[in-house]
Amino acid sequence: MPALFFPHRYPPLLRVAVLSLLTVFLTVFSERHPGLRNVGLTMAYPVQWANLQGANAWQQAARFLQSRAALASENARLRAELAQAQPDLLQAKILRVENRQLLALLDSIPQPPGKVAVAQVIAQNFSPSNQSITVDMGARNGVFVGQPVLAAGGVAGQVVSVSPMSSQVALLSDLGSSIPVQPVGSDLPLLVDGEGNLHQLIIPFQARDTALKRGDRLVTSGLGGRYPPGLMVGTITAIVRNGDQPFAQIAVQPAVRLGRLSTVLMLWSGPPSRPTAP
Amino acid sequence: MERPAITADRAMMIIALVFGFFIALSAETVPLGALYALLHPDFVTLLLLYWAISNNSELSFTIVWLIGLFQDIALGDVLGAQAIASIIMIYLLYSGLGRVRSLPPWEQLFFVFLLLLAHRLIVWLWQAWAGAITWHFSLLLGPLLGALLWPLFTFALDHLRHTLRPQHV
Repeated sequence: MPALFFPHRYPPLLRVAVLSLLTVFLTVFSERHPGLRNVGLTMAYPVQWANLQGANAWQQAARFLQSRAALASENARLRAELAQAQPDLLQAKILRVENRQLLALLDSIPQPPGKVAVAQVIAQNFSPSNQSITVDMGARNGVFVGQPVLAAGGVAGQVVSVSPMSSQVALLSDLGSSIPVQPVGSDLPLLVDGEGNLHQLIIPFQARDTALKRGDRLVTSGLGGRYPPGLMVGTITAIVRNGDQPFAQIAVQPAVRLGRLSTVLMLWSGPPSRPTAP
Repeated sequence: MERPAITADRAMMIIALVFGFFIALSAETVPLGALYALLHPDFVTLLLLYWAISNNSELSFTIVWLIGLFQDIALGDVLGAQAIASIIMIYLLYSGLGRVRSLPPWEQLFFVFLLLLAHRLIVWLWQAWAGAITWHFSLLLGPLLGALLWPLFTFALDHLRHTLRPQHV
């Protein structure tokens, strides 16, 4: 290959050293300007586009190859699930009406239901340092940094960078992720942090005599205003109280199967509710 | 000294390389689930090693660096981590392990493992320097599987290159 910028007459060690120094500056600069990530995401779009085409072709091939019998059995299963879900749906409707009435009694404004849109996952990165997915909706579709992202089961994560055609979503399991939650039926404020593991989240800094117990379900508390309240986050699977540890180690299983996302819901929640009168 | 002229063969080679790295990057990020993410080798680094070992002339460090930089961008990781790991890996290959080239793929496997391991450790150190990161055993799985895949990988690419090569050379 012809030498680009550097003639080959300079010793290799010098060339490597200069490029390394350049990398140091580049890394420091990019860490200080997080807005650069949006530019990077735009540059990477051709790769994501190729992924999208590959995924679509794969799905079409799978659909073509799926036998009639398999489709019939799937249809039957879906019908059975629908029959099971209908009473629950009815009950949910009744509860929603009742909830509105109770909220009206409490003189608080009920949250208007948010707008959602379905986005397809076009890239993934599940290294211990970075647990994120890229979806095929971007600034053109009104996606913004900090937007909550849902999937079947509950919260999946939030948008961290946006390009015109795509956006990157940090999953709940990302090391930098932290989401305010509360147990169902209680208003104890808690945080659920990611630790780079798709299957396990943690609740940090809880005293060893915490009232939390195994099986407690956690929903978003709405504190901080980023996520609307009441969305499912996960279930406590284990509480370890070690003799020499100052805090209990609490493991949470995410409600969403973070490693198997193919489509997600982008959520535009309504305006934040007015603070209630004391 | 005169610069080599850009012939049709050269242009063909450059197109093949760009296309190859594009495919490798796509294979690395395609959303196929957690198991795939755990088990897939670092295709871009493997391709870089193949290119460095099989090519007769030395690669330009700048090009290796740019490829690493684009990999960082596409993965959304800390900018520069793959770039610096790639140039150091290629430097190690050229300075200390130059003899690897003449070995058959089965014996190259061990050196490839060491190089991939060095690459992975540098990426990890760089990310640790830039922010929080945890160590996980699965970080060693990539280099191991990449090295085990090496003979198959070189066989497939040699075959492909042989098919694509113009007949008059």
